[in-house]
Amino acid sequence: MVYFLFAIVAVISLYTARHYWFTLNRLFGFQRHPYIDTDTADWPQVTILVAAHNEEKVISHILAALMGVNYPPEKMLVVPVNDRSTDKTREIIDRFCQDHPGRIRPFHRTGGKGGKAAALKDAMELVATEVILIFDADYIPGTGLIKQLVAPFFDPEVGGVMGRVVPLNVGTNLLTRLLDLERSGGYQVDQQARMNLRLVPQHGGTVAGVRLSALREIGGWNDNSLTEDTDLTYRLLLHGWKTVYQNRSECYEEVPETWQVRVKQIMRWAKGHNQALANYGLHLLFGKHRATLRERIDGFLLLGVYIMAPLTLLGWLLALGVFYEGYAPLHGVIALLSITAYSAVGNFAAFFEIAAAARLDYTRQRICLLPFLILGFGVSIFSVSRAFVSQLMAPLTGAQFHWDKTERFRTTP
Amino acid sequence: MSAVLATAGLFALAAALFLLPLIPAIVELHLKRDAQALNVIQQYAGDIRHFSFGFRSYASDLLVPLERCVASGDTATGILPHGDRYLLLGRADTTQLLAPGTAGRTCDFVVAAGTELMLPDGITFAKELYASRLLTGGENCTYRAILGDDAVRLGQGSKVIRWAHAAKSIHAEQDCDLYGRISSEVEIGLQAGCLFQRLHAPRIVFGPPPAQKDSAGASPPDQPAEPISSFIAARRRFVDADLEIPAREIVEGSIVTRGGLRIGAGAQILGSVKSNHHLAVDSGAFVAGSLISATTMHIGPDCQIGGPVIAEYEILIESGSRCGTFDRPTTVSAPVIAVEEGVVAFGTIWARHEGHALAKQ
Repeated sequence: MVYFLFAIVAVISLYTARHYWFTLNRLFGFQRHPYIDTDTADWPQVTILVAAHNEEKVISHILAALMGVNYPPEKMLVVPVNDRSTDKTREIIDRFCQDHPGRIRPFHRTGGKGGKAAALKDAMELVATEVILIFDADYIPGTGLIKQLVAPFFDPEVGGVMGRVVPLNVGTNLLTRLLDLERSGGYQVDQQARMNLRLVPQHGGTVAGVRLSALREIGGWNDNSLTEDTDLTYRLLLHGWKTVYQNRSECYEEVPETWQVRVKQIMRWAKGHNQALANYGLHLLFGKHRATLRERIDGFLLLGVYIMAPLTLLGWLLALGVFYEGYAPLHGVIALLSITAYSAVGNFAAFFEIAAAARLDYTRQRICLLPFLILGFGVSIFSVSRAFVSQLMAPLTGAQFHWDKTERFRTTP
Repeated sequence: MSAVLATAGLFALAAALFLLPLIPAIVELHLKRDAQALNVIQQYAGDIRHFSFGFRSYASDLLVPLERCVASGDTATGILPHGDRYLLLGRADTTQLLAPGTAGRTCDFVVAAGTELMLPDGITFAKELYASRLLTGGENCTYRAILGDDAVRLGQGSKVIRWAHAAKSIHAEQDCDLYGRISSEVEIGLQAGCLFQRLHAPRIVFGPPPAQKDSAGASPPDQPAEPISSFIAARRRFVDADLEIPAREIVEGSIVTRGGLRIGAGAQILGSVKSNHHLAVDSGAFVAGSLISATTMHIGPDCQIGGPVIAEYEILIESGSRCGTFDRPTTVSAPVIAVEEGVVAFGTIWARHEGHALAKQ
């Protein structure tokens, strides 16, 4: 039992060191933004897919924003992927089509497999351009965002691009404020550090782009995946395509405003990530492919972040057991675990990463909320662990993966 | 002290210690002092003319009185809404640039000139300078910012601190330091010894203007008659080591190398190129698409690059090379860029740290 606990502590310590490395790199290291200065070019044709399932509250905002970007209109086609919506999403999209003839071509999907990946897969019949950008319907792109996301595709090694997600509804309640902190740590520090260090920036599936020839080479969208973005990241990596992160390509999103929605969201992410770990983990580490050694190691650690939650819980139980068995003193393993555990849970950017992100974003007062992150941490660790257990039990219970759409809260102006 | 009181005190102390770090959190949660979304300026698209547009709007109230000054041949002074003093020049008289009693040779006015203006040497303009006609700067002048509705000529050794924009051409003589954004609707010309950061114009010429035949971008002898898009969705060849493309070889498709890459003299790449180490392009080579290096790049003489030229550390471009064409402008971008006389670029050159215009070796 003690050795098992030591092993858990070692893994958690590894993740802690990784977080420290990322933070220090972000604060003091060389920052890579190689494509962001590309402001003049012979811009390619681009298709912008907007995934929408019952998005009547938000779909008009993103379509209006896309009609106002500074990308050459004749080189840009917006394809709202209306996935079996039962609300007024279809009517709103069709109205935009009439108002902007030739610039929007809707894909109304009335049946088929559920989930974003399945919808995007079906919508590919409308895509004929080499560059594809993807947005969820609750995002609001700024004027220059499309050019910024397209620019990296001039690099023939780049297969995927990811921009920075910035919560819009920050001040709604405690949850939105905590998610704002988490997002800033995750993008401003974690993603950019992985970009700086030539590791594995993660494709987020929104505010993102993918190269059509790369997508075809890896077999298209995987509609069996709960997180098509993670799945895409690893398949691109295994085929020698880079995913790049553009920290200065920022886009507003809406974060969940209720804990119930948040729990569903994080459970889906955890299951999808674990799915990718099972599918690609060993092949990434030991297989024959084009990923570098550092990409193999970081990619594997990234795949493992959602395993850390149940592992941490297990570590806590083992630590207690060991303590009551009298094998370990309080100031030893338990103390180390209790310190490191707070900075090693999947999807919960480490406290110091968040503090560094707040500094980098010049946001000062919100850092006061840092102690409340323990609350978010608690919810995450149990939700992610629950997702892990349900995945393990799925073969026994016969449970099927299903897609939970994230509820929207915006009120249409 | 009773045991009960001591216990209660201990609990109270423990609770206070536990709650202490939460007090700022509770205050912030309640007061929402920093609860706004991170400021992403939705309308800002990174346009190089952003500040010149802003200044034009700021100074728009000056245009009508400036026209009156030009009509009457007078000068006038006043104060702008934000408190800046301005000087309107309705005639080519620079004697009032330096206000009486001003120490040194610093002009503290926002200056608007309605006629052609030739500035004396060595003046520092602490505020913006607007010229509706040809502006010819003196030597060793320092400008905070310049907006020209005609051409702008900067004298030798001049400095632009923030930005300069001209509706016609901007030409900088030797040894000018051009910090910030320099843009023109027509052409930018830099002589050797100039430093720069961000340049944008339909045509950017280093050194003396090239012969007329080069004005729209040179073509290699065997370049396809039909123009090729600089964004090429071509089949890519992936090489895990260093690669050298022989001279005069024609490669169809894109190339990605994990190691260094040398493109031989006169070779033609009908696609894009990426090297994860040093990238060298020998004389007369042609790359239809983009040229990307994860480290440094050396473009030899008389090369032609169609798409964006990007290096993560440094780029050196030798004389006679062309980046982009008039019809297909592009971006040259790296933290450090050195460009020899005789190079022409079409579009943007963006040296995040420092760019150097070099004399031809």
